[in-house]
Amino acid sequence: MAFPQGLPSGPSLRTFPHGLPSGPSLRPDLTQLYWGLCIPTRAVCDAETIFALSSGHGRCGVAVVRVSGPASSMVLRNMAGLTQALPPPRTALLRRITDPQSKELLDRGLVLWFKGPHSFTGEDSAEFHIHGGPAVITAVLQALGSLEGVRPAEAGEFTRRAFHAGKLGLTEVEGLGDLIHAETEAQRRQALRQMDGELGRLYQDWSYRLKRCLAHVEAFIDFSEDELIEDGVLNQVDSSVRQLETEIERHLKDERRGERLRTGVQVVIAGATNAGKSSLLNTLCQRPAAIVSPIAGTTRDIVETSLDIGGFPVLLSDTAGLRDSSDSVEREGVRRARQRVEQADLTLVVVDSTQLPPDPQLVPAFLQEHLSTVLPSPEAGMKAASDRVLLVLNKSDLVPEEQRERTEGELRERPGLPPACFLSCSTSTGLEDFLTVLQSRVKTLCGDPLSGAPSLTQARHRAHLQQSVQALNQYHQYRDQDLALAAEGVRLALTHLGRITGRVGAEEILDIIFRDFCIGK
Amino acid sequence: MLAQKLHLLRHNVLSFVSSRTGSDLTRRQYDVIVVGGGHAGTEAAAAAARLGAETLLITQKIMTIGALSCNPSLGGVGKGQLVREVDALDGLCGRAGDSAGVHFSILNRSKGPAVWGPRAQLDRERYRQFIQSELLSTPRLTVLEGSVDELLVSQPNPEEPGHHRVTGIRLVDGSHPILSSSVVLTTGTFLSGSLFMGQTTSPGGRMGDAQSCAGLSYTLKETLGLRVGRLRTGTPPRIVKESVDLSLAQLQAPDKQPTPFSFLNTHTRCKPEEQLPCYLTHTTPGVERVVRESVHLNCHIQQDTKGPRYCPSIESRVLRFPGRRHQVWLEPEGLTSDLLYPQGLSMTMPPDLQLRLLREIPALHRAEIRAPGYGVQYDFVCPTQLTPSLQVKSTQGLFLAGQINGTTGYEEAAAQGLWAGVNAGRTALSLPPIALSRTQSYIGVLIDDLVGRGVTEPYRMFTSRAEFRTYLRPDNADLRLTPRGFEEVGCVTLRRYKKAVSVRDGLQEALMALQSVALSSTRWREKLVCSSTLLYHVSFSLSGLDLLQYKDVSFEMLASAFPECLSQYFEYSQRLKIEAVYRPHCEKQSREMERIRSEESLSLPSDMDYLSLPVSLSHEVREILDRVRPNTVSLISVKCYKYRQIMCLIDKLGYFLSQ
Repeated sequence: MAFPQGLPSGPSLRTFPHGLPSGPSLRPDLTQLYWGLCIPTRAVCDAETIFALSSGHGRCGVAVVRVSGPASSMVLRNMAGLTQALPPPRTALLRRITDPQSKELLDRGLVLWFKGPHSFTGEDSAEFHIHGGPAVITAVLQALGSLEGVRPAEAGEFTRRAFHAGKLGLTEVEGLGDLIHAETEAQRRQALRQMDGELGRLYQDWSYRLKRCLAHVEAFIDFSEDELIEDGVLNQVDSSVRQLETEIERHLKDERRGERLRTGVQVVIAGATNAGKSSLLNTLCQRPAAIVSPIAGTTRDIVETSLDIGGFPVLLSDTAGLRDSSDSVEREGVRRARQRVEQADLTLVVVDSTQLPPDPQLVPAFLQEHLSTVLPSPEAGMKAASDRVLLVLNKSDLVPEEQRERTEGELRERPGLPPACFLSCSTSTGLEDFLTVLQSRVKTLCGDPLSGAPSLTQARHRAHLQQSVQALNQYHQYRDQDLALAAEGVRLALTHLGRITGRVGAEEILDIIFRDFCIGK
Repeated sequence: MLAQKLHLLRHNVLSFVSSRTGSDLTRRQYDVIVVGGGHAGTEAAAAAARLGAETLLITQKIMTIGALSCNPSLGGVGKGQLVREVDALDGLCGRAGDSAGVHFSILNRSKGPAVWGPRAQLDRERYRQFIQSELLSTPRLTVLEGSVDELLVSQPNPEEPGHHRVTGIRLVDGSHPILSSSVVLTTGTFLSGSLFMGQTTSPGGRMGDAQSCAGLSYTLKETLGLRVGRLRTGTPPRIVKESVDLSLAQLQAPDKQPTPFSFLNTHTRCKPEEQLPCYLTHTTPGVERVVRESVHLNCHIQQDTKGPRYCPSIESRVLRFPGRRHQVWLEPEGLTSDLLYPQGLSMTMPPDLQLRLLREIPALHRAEIRAPGYGVQYDFVCPTQLTPSLQVKSTQGLFLAGQINGTTGYEEAAAQGLWAGVNAGRTALSLPPIALSRTQSYIGVLIDDLVGRGVTEPYRMFTSRAEFRTYLRPDNADLRLTPRGFEEVGCVTLRRYKKAVSVRDGLQEALMALQSVALSSTRWREKLVCSSTLLYHVSFSLSGLDLLQYKDVSFEMLASAFPECLSQYFEYSQRLKIEAVYRPHCEKQSREMERIRSEESLSLPSDMDYLSLPVSLSHEVREILDRVRPNTVSLISVKCYKYRQIMCLIDKLGYFLSQ
C-alpha cells in the first residue's frame, strides 16, 4: 500500500520529555480520592515498618538488625526499655534488649536511633547490634515480628525505600541493584529448597484450598444472578474456611512445625560418575560417611553431612554421578542430584583430571563444556557461576607434574571459568589450598544474610500465616452482612499465603470458576 | 425526521468528499475521525467532541447507529459498574439506558453494595433514538455514512515514539482522502469477519449489514504490522412473542422502583408500573439430543477459534456440561416489539434444527423464529500493542476500542470508546495522553488488563478482576471520576461537574456531622431503639460514623436521635450508610493502592533496548521485556521471582526517568 503523497502535515504534535508513551495518569491527592471524601480528623495510614537481619549469617561476633518505618521509635522503646526519651540520633547506647510481651531478657547490645530523614531509608530507623549466635538472632527477630504494624522486610525493600526517598545516587543504585539481584537469587534457591519438602507441600495445599474457596465466593458474586449456582456453595466455603483456620492455627502452635528447616550454607558435590565425589566428601569430613568404590554409580542417593568450615555451618551433600543410566534407581538418583545442584548455595564440580585433554590449551574449553552439562541453565551467566561454583580437579596424583603445572597456568585468572583446584583425595596433595579457597567462598556466602537463615524465613512465614488466619476471620464476620467484604477476607488470606507460595492472580481464580461451574452469560 | 436530518448530513459531507475542485472543502480536515457507530464508536465520537475536537463519525449505515446488535439489555454485575463510570465521565450509555429501559433491577442486592449490579432490559428502538438524537445535538460532531477503505499512514513525528503516523482515511466510494490528526477504529466484528450458520459461511460482521472492511484489515496487518488473533461470538434466534407459551415459564418481575444508571437522573423514562417482566425457563434432555445430532452440520462449533467461556453457545454449554439443566431467559425486546430474546440460546446450527431445538423447551413448544441465530468469527488486534491511552504503540494518532481489542459486551466497548475518544481528542488538541489507574476505576482495570496481559478469549468485566472492589463501587463513581473528568480530562460538562461537586460537599459535611456526634455506648443505647448487641461490648465512646458501620443501624435511626444536625442530610442516607461500612476497609487497602499507583506512574520508554541493557537481568526476563515492551512498571506481570528481578531494573530506570 502506497503512502499518500503530498499530504499536509497534521497539527503540531505534542512532545514528550523522555519519549514516554503514556502520559500523566489521573493522580488525585490521596485523601480526596481514596475515601471519595476526606475527613480531616482521621489520619491516613502510614507505611508499614519493616525489619531484617542486615549482617551476615553464621557465627559472627555481632549481628545487626535493622528496623525502618514510622513505628521504629515504638520498637526501640518497647525492646530496649526506653520509657521516655529516645537516645540522641546516631549515638550508640548499651541496653538490655527484652521481649516486648514476656519482658524476658533476650540479649545485651547496642541500640541506635536514626531520626528520618537522616537515615539510610530516609524514614525513622533503628538498629540493634546484638550477639551473633543463631539463638539470639532468632529470638530478637521473633520478638520484632510480634509487634503490631511491624513485619519482616521483603527482598530489597530497604533499598527500594531508600530509592523512593531519593537517598541513593545513580551509581549507588547500580551497585544496590546487583545486591537486590543477589538477594533475589538467594531467596529463589531458598524457596526451591523449602517448597521441595513437606512444609512446602502443606502450604501449597492450603493455598490450593483457599483458591477454591475464593473462586467459589467469587462465582457466587459474579454469576449467581444469572446462573445455576447451587445455594450450597457458600455453606461449603464456610466449612472449608473453618477447617483451614483450624489447621493453620494448629500449625502455628506446633513448635516443631512438621519439618526442621535445614540450616547452614548448602554445599553440593556434583560431577560425572567416578570422578571421586564421595572421596571428596570423606576427605572433607575426615570420616568415611559415604561408600567409596571404583565402580561407577556407587552413590545413588544424596549423602548429607554437617560440617564446620572456618567457623561457618555447612551442609555438605554428595550426589549421584551424572550420566544417562538405564537403571531406574540410578536415574532417580541423577534426578535428585540435579535438583540439589539447583538449590545449592555453592557447587563443587569434581572432575577426574586424568580425563582432561593432554594439551593444556584445550583444557578451559573442555571445562566450560563440562560445566554446562553439570550446572542448570548455563546461560544464567558465568558471572553467577563463578561465585557459586568451584572446580575440583581430582586425582591430580595420576597426572604428570609438568602437565599439571602447565594446566594450572592456563587456568589461572581465566575469565568465565570458576576457580579450579588440583587435588588428590587419596594423597591429600593440594587439600590445604583447596580448603583456603573453599573457606573464603563459604565466608562470602555467609555474608549474604539470606543464605540458610531459617530463622528469618520462619519469622516471615509465621507473620504471613498469622495474618492469613486473621483475614479469614473477616470472612465469617461479614459472611451474612456483606459478601464483598467477606470475599475480601479470603482474598487477603490468600495474598498472605501467596507471599510464601507465590502470587495468585485474578485469572487463576476465574479459571477455577469456569472449571467448577457451568457458567453461561 | 431524525433520519432525514442524518441523511442531509450525509449528503453534505459526501458532496465535499467527492468534490475535487471545491478548494475550501477539500482542504477541510478533522481533528478526530471515528470509524464505527456501535457502543465504542458513539462514545468515542461524543467524548472527542466534548473535549473540543472537530469530530467525524463514519459508519456503514446511519440508521444502525446505537443499535443493540445482540442482547436487549445493559449493565449487570461488573458491567453495571462500567456503565456508572462511563456516565460519571459524561458518556452516553447510562442516560440512554435510563431512556430506553423497560425492566430495571439491581442484581446482587443481598451481597453488598460494592458488588451491586445495576441492570436494565432495553427497548431497542428507544435506545437507538436516544443515541442518534444525542449525537446530532453534539456540537463539533459530524456523521457520515460510508465504508472506510484504508488508513492513510505517513512518516512518524521523530520526536515521539512510533514507526508510523496516521493522517486520515480513504473511503471506498470516494477516492479523495479525509484528513485528521487522530483516528479511532471501532470496527467491532467487521475486521475480516465471517458469519456462520449451519454449514454455510459468508463474509460479514453482522447479519444484514455490508461486508467487512478488507482494506482496513490489510492496513492494520500489512502496513502497520500489527499482530492479530481470531475470536468468535454468536447470537440467538429471535422468537415471535405470540408463539411462546409464557404460562410455562417463570415470571421475573423488575424492581418495584427503577434505579437510574445516570447520576444526572432521579427517575427513568419508563414509569415503574409500565415495566415489562422477563421469564425464566430451562433446557431439557431433548435440547441436548438435538445439539448432539447436529454437530456434524455445524461448522462454527467444530472450529477451535476461542469463544467466550462465560457467554457460550448452547452447543458448547451442552457439550461441556452434559446432563444438566441450563437456564434460558426470555427477555422483552421493547415496549412495542413482538419479539422475545432467548438469553442463553445463542446457536449456529442450521435454521430448521434451531427450530427443532427451541421446541424441545416446554414454553417454546410452538415457537416461531423471526430471525435465526448465527455465529461470527472476526479478527482482533492483540491489545498488548496498545498504550494505556488505547493508542497503537507503533502508530501515532491511531486508537482502537471495543471488540477490535478482544473484548465482548456493550459496556466494555463503551468504556474503551470513551477513553479512546478522550485521548484521540487530546492528541489532536496537542495535549498529552492520559491514563486511568486500576486503583481508581473499572475502566482502568479493563484497560490495564487488556494492554498489560492481552486476551486469549473475549474479555468480559467481572467484579473479581478489580483488586479494590470495595472502593470501586457503583455508588461512588461520580466522586471518583467526575471532578477529575472535568478538571483534568476535559470530557465532563460544567453542569454535571457542578452537580458532582455539590454532592461531594454535601456528603463531606454529612460525614463530618456524623463524626461529630460521639456518645458512650450506654448513652447510645438510651438514644436509639436498637437491639444491636455491639453496644454491650464496647466501653469507649463511639461516633455516629462508627455506629453506622453496623448492620442493624441505619442513617434514619441516627438522624432521629440527632435531628438538629443530621436530618438535613436525608437525601444521602443510602450513600452515607455505604460509605460508613466500606471506609475502614478502603483505608486498609490504601497502602497497596499507593504502591500500584506509584508503579503505574513510572513510565518506561518504548524504544528501550532491553537485550543489551547493562544491568543484571537473566536472558529470559530480557526476552519477556523485549516482547511485551511495558509502558509502565505496573504492566509488568510476570511471576514473582522474576518480578523482583524486574523491580530492580525498574528502580534504576525510574531513576533515569526522574532526572
